[in-house]
Amino acid sequence: MFDYEACLRACARGDQQALRHLYEQESSRLLGVALRIVRDKALAEDTVHDAFIRIWRGAAGFDPGRGSARGWVYSVTRHQALNAVRRTARDVPLSEAHEPLAEPDDTFEFPARSGQIHTCLERLDPARRRCILHAYVDGYSHSEIAQVLGTPLGTVKAWIKRSLAALRECMT
Amino acid sequence: MNIEELASEYVVGTLPLEQRAEVEQRLKHDADLRAAVDAWEQRLLPLTALAEPVTPSQHLWRRIQHTLAEPATRVPWWNLLAVWRGLAAAGLAASVVLATLLLIRPPLAEPSFVVVLVAPQSQAPGWVIQASNNQQIQLIPLGVMQVPADKALQFWTKGDGWQGPVSLGLVKPGQTLSVPLDQLPPLTQNQLFELTLEDSRGSPTGKPTGPIQAIGRAVKVL
Repeated sequence: MFDYEACLRACARGDQQALRHLYEQESSRLLGVALRIVRDKALAEDTVHDAFIRIWRGAAGFDPGRGSARGWVYSVTRHQALNAVRRTARDVPLSEAHEPLAEPDDTFEFPARSGQIHTCLERLDPARRRCILHAYVDGYSHSEIAQVLGTPLGTVKAWIKRSLAALRECMT
Repeated sequence: MNIEELASEYVVGTLPLEQRAEVEQRLKHDADLRAAVDAWEQRLLPLTALAEPVTPSQHLWRRIQHTLAEPATRVPWWNLLAVWRGLAAAGLAASVVLATLLLIRPPLAEPSFVVVLVAPQSQAPGWVIQASNNQQIQLIPLGVMQVPADKALQFWTKGDGWQGPVSLGLVKPGQTLSVPLDQLPPLTQNQLFELTLEDSRGSPTGKPTGPIQAIGRAVKVL
């Protein structure tokens, strides 16, 4: 088992080998997460690069009381990717960039997954579930989701808001 | 939007950039928001497994190592809020200079874009850029800027959506410079131009590293 907390403590001490281990352990998964959001390999690698620099520089400030070390590494990377994609404003129309998204709801291999979040997501209406997944996994904005689902923007916003409230309810 | 909604929309990713920036600022001092965000990060984290892993190219780790080896870099200027705020004020300076230019100069060959580069602190206009077509620009000094003997002024531009600024070469103080833009996308409205103080041979990294001497955005002239 990779000890993420020990790894961050070592990074905080200036041990670059620890960061290297984290890179070997997680870089391909983190790149996958970033690529789904920014949808450009070079930009995704820039994102992971920037995330590792932030992890290195922020390791000393990481507080295990706020959540898991592994979770923090993913959060840093995801938010880096989300900021990058919001900043550049995609110029590729979604329909061309990501054909499979027009397909019905089996894009996200659902039943194979276990865990509380998946159980709770399954209780949502499929269209609302897709909203949440497109937002979290694909980094789609409200209007991109509305476009992909062919649903009015206001409806999508309301669905997401209510679905998040329902998830919170379900997961406590 | 209450804290819970704000935290959930921030983590799920649906907030627009400005609101994301606000949340990130607030997280530094708002413990309630931080707790709500942390809880949402943990709730949704398992969904990251839905993204297929992708093997990074071989040089990615070397790039990271290379960046770590650099002396702690300051925030790049294009991410500094103060710069963008300053640019708003620069608009005013631009109109003053343009009005003056219109009065004192004979009509020029209809420049389609004009940029006034101002000092970031004082907003004093230092240079004007004019483009009579999209492929060539003239950088015209409004005075002679003092540059230390071992330093040089380097000229940069960055369009919307570019990854970072691109060098347009070194500039001698007090001299008009013509720069071909044929290696770059055509000039666009709002394109950013600036001069930074760099080593005498130019920035070692290929990106601006020194302090900004003058900065401004392209304005279309009808």
